[in-house]
Amino acid sequence: MMDSAPTVTGDRDSTVAIACRGITKRFGVNTVVDGVDLEIRAGSIHSLVGANGAGKSTLLGMISGRIAPSDGIALAFGDEIVAGKPRRARELGIATVYQELTIVPQLSAVANVFLGNERRSGAWLDEKSMLARFAELCDEFELDIPAKTLGRDLSVATQQVLEIMRAMNSEARIMMFDEPTAALSQSERDNFLRIIRRLAATGVAVVLVSHNLGEVLDVSATVSVLRGGRLVETRTAAKWQRKGLIHAMTGEATPVSVRNEHPAFGEPLFEVENLTVPSVLTAVSLVVRKGEIVGLAGLVGSGRTTILRCISGDERRATGTFKIDGEVVAAPRSVRDAIMRLGIGRVPEERKIEGLHLQRSIPDNIAMTDWRRFIRGIFVNKRKQYEVANELLTEMRISRPIGEYPVGDLSGGNQQKVAIAKWLARKPRVLLFDEPTRGIDVVAKVEVMAAIRRYAREGHAVIVTSSELEEVVDISDRLYVVSKGEIVEDYDMHSSPPTLNEIIKRSFAKTG
Amino acid sequence: MADTISTQGQVLGSAGRVRKVLFDQGIYVILVILIVVATILYPPFLGPDNVLLILEQNAPLGIVAVGMTIVLIGGGFDLSVGSTFALAGVLSAQFALAGNVVLGIVAGIIAGAVCGLFNGFLVTVLRVNPFVATLGSMTLIQGGTLLYTNSQAFSVTDASFAFIGSGKLGPVPVDVIIMVAIFALAQLVMRKTLYGRALFATGGNPEASRLSGLRTKTIEASTYVVAGVLAGFAGVISASQLGTGQGTAGATMALNAIAVVVIGGTALTGGEGSVLRSGVGLAILAVLQNIYYTLAVNTYFQLITQGAIVVGAVALDKRLRSRITR
Repeated sequence: MMDSAPTVTGDRDSTVAIACRGITKRFGVNTVVDGVDLEIRAGSIHSLVGANGAGKSTLLGMISGRIAPSDGIALAFGDEIVAGKPRRARELGIATVYQELTIVPQLSAVANVFLGNERRSGAWLDEKSMLARFAELCDEFELDIPAKTLGRDLSVATQQVLEIMRAMNSEARIMMFDEPTAALSQSERDNFLRIIRRLAATGVAVVLVSHNLGEVLDVSATVSVLRGGRLVETRTAAKWQRKGLIHAMTGEATPVSVRNEHPAFGEPLFEVENLTVPSVLTAVSLVVRKGEIVGLAGLVGSGRTTILRCISGDERRATGTFKIDGEVVAAPRSVRDAIMRLGIGRVPEERKIEGLHLQRSIPDNIAMTDWRRFIRGIFVNKRKQYEVANELLTEMRISRPIGEYPVGDLSGGNQQKVAIAKWLARKPRVLLFDEPTRGIDVVAKVEVMAAIRRYAREGHAVIVTSSELEEVVDISDRLYVVSKGEIVEDYDMHSSPPTLNEIIKRSFAKTG
Repeated sequence: MADTISTQGQVLGSAGRVRKVLFDQGIYVILVILIVVATILYPPFLGPDNVLLILEQNAPLGIVAVGMTIVLIGGGFDLSVGSTFALAGVLSAQFALAGNVVLGIVAGIIAGAVCGLFNGFLVTVLRVNPFVATLGSMTLIQGGTLLYTNSQAFSVTDASFAFIGSGKLGPVPVDVIIMVAIFALAQLVMRKTLYGRALFATGGNPEASRLSGLRTKTIEASTYVVAGVLAGFAGVISASQLGTGQGTAGATMALNAIAVVVIGGTALTGGEGSVLRSGVGLAILAVLQNIYYTLAVNTYFQLITQGAIVVGAVALDKRLRSRITR
């Protein structure tokens, strides 16, 4: 092994878990990672941050042995990480937990933890020993996971813990996480951070890629910033501040979305009264005025998403009185009915599954909500599609040129912008946003928020919900707090804005 | 693999570009090679008589394959087209025997539509898996047809019934004209109309399509109706070609149609595919069949080759695809 890494002969410092030396990756003419030198120490948490396209994922890919560097070398505890040999990476003690978890839905929690590493006695599986080890791991994490529950019945957070346990089982010494908290609730997030702290304390090198800067600064020992494929700077977390971090990521002063202090709202445009779904929602009533953004805050599972789904006609069991422009209208019978008859659209939570046709082009995705507009005679009018798509691309600040390539090739931020743009093409009077900024970078976040605000100010009614409380607070003109399927509070965010703590407290109003 | 990944999508390495061209144009290349080989082995291969013969022999299969392509693009699957084909053939022959040829043709097509509607109902309303639903309806329709005919064949001697299957307009057989027209029309609808777009969208991502306000269930069900109508029409043409309608016809029709469509590169997962490419898939199998026939090769070899081509085409497709899209 030493022969293959002549540049580092003798450099076997056991506290250095990962060392990158001038590591570079080129795809065709694009240099995606450019001469990065990086050291990651054992027993500490090291975060990589950067805007989308900064090269984080590629760098992570090279460290985990998934992508071969074009130049330079990556070492794990002094041994070269060879790409394309997942088994070798495992031998070196490298484990990566991706956003897309690899839990098998039909297998039990224990079976998932021991997947590919099953314990046997003779020809038979040694269930007893596996259960014992599983219990040990649960103790270690201070968690109580039912061993026999099937993967599909566990929450995302629990599934993630199972993946971490799986890595620990194979004695991983380097664990990497790509956006691990994007799909977690606040308490799950805290729990996750506790677990990785503990991992680091046992000597594991933890590498964290996250867009959540608060979390990064809170948990990391060291933070490295990437921009345009280059390593801009590495400092200990204590020496970073949020603003400086954003500045380093973007290369510009902090972008902000301006909130007008005294917006003028019109008449109530959308109202719903006594919205009820048996055992999920209880008599939810809310009003959105013309030009207003209404936020829904609440814990994961509080019913935020259900409220939006009901309003957009996607919940058959829902009952309640709908009013548009003060007049009672029949509740939507289907998503299509909500869109066509009531002018209610929804940007759904899961952009990859619900929001977009990943394998289709930007113009096709944008036309999806309003095909009739793009028909001439009996044929689809492609030129019109491109015209409209181009306008929206400019409006949403999507920097990619338009073309026939699939939307799935875009970065997360740009995908989300397309998922929003397809609704801007139709201009529904009421537009609902579920997690509009999930998993996208800071700059894209600000741009998405600005687009939402612009849309409302054009005289539409907007409802936004997000698990990132600061964002809902930041964008809302009025805020409803949802707890266990009921609205427990209604704040005017201009005249009497509550503190974050107040909102969190109210979120727990109906729980336990 | 590495050269062809691009973080932002389109920038493919030169090797990637070559693969993409191969992927897109590969089956055309294979067809041309086969035609060249056929011409060498059998010089009159490209003569008008032989070409028209090939087309005519394969017209019913081609028409069924168009319907199958549409079902697969919509994310479905249809095993029942062979049974529908036989039912329509029997009905048309029986009406023709009774002296009403036009009504016979219409009855065959309507029977196809009804079978398709039944499949659509099973799949979209009762939410039965398409494979299972059409496996059931295949057996059901077949049983019904055999019971109805008492396994008897209806032979028609009426010349006007023969027109649609064996007649000619100028030098060109009517059934060939019908097949080509159906291919052209379907290609146009799939590529250029709202229905086509909505179908690709629904097959590719039903959830996102529904949430965008498309009538996904109607669209999905419609593909089975189209497939049923085309299978019915093909059954009528075939009965007319042979001068008989019989309940045992079309036994291998569904599987052959799937083979044709799959060779053409249409994905079984939905949202991807092309009617035109199914035409090329049909041509590849038809040319092979013709070579073996004219060289009097044992037909079992033909089956072996056909199987190998189906498996090879899909394996190659998978390989090239994974290299292009990481």
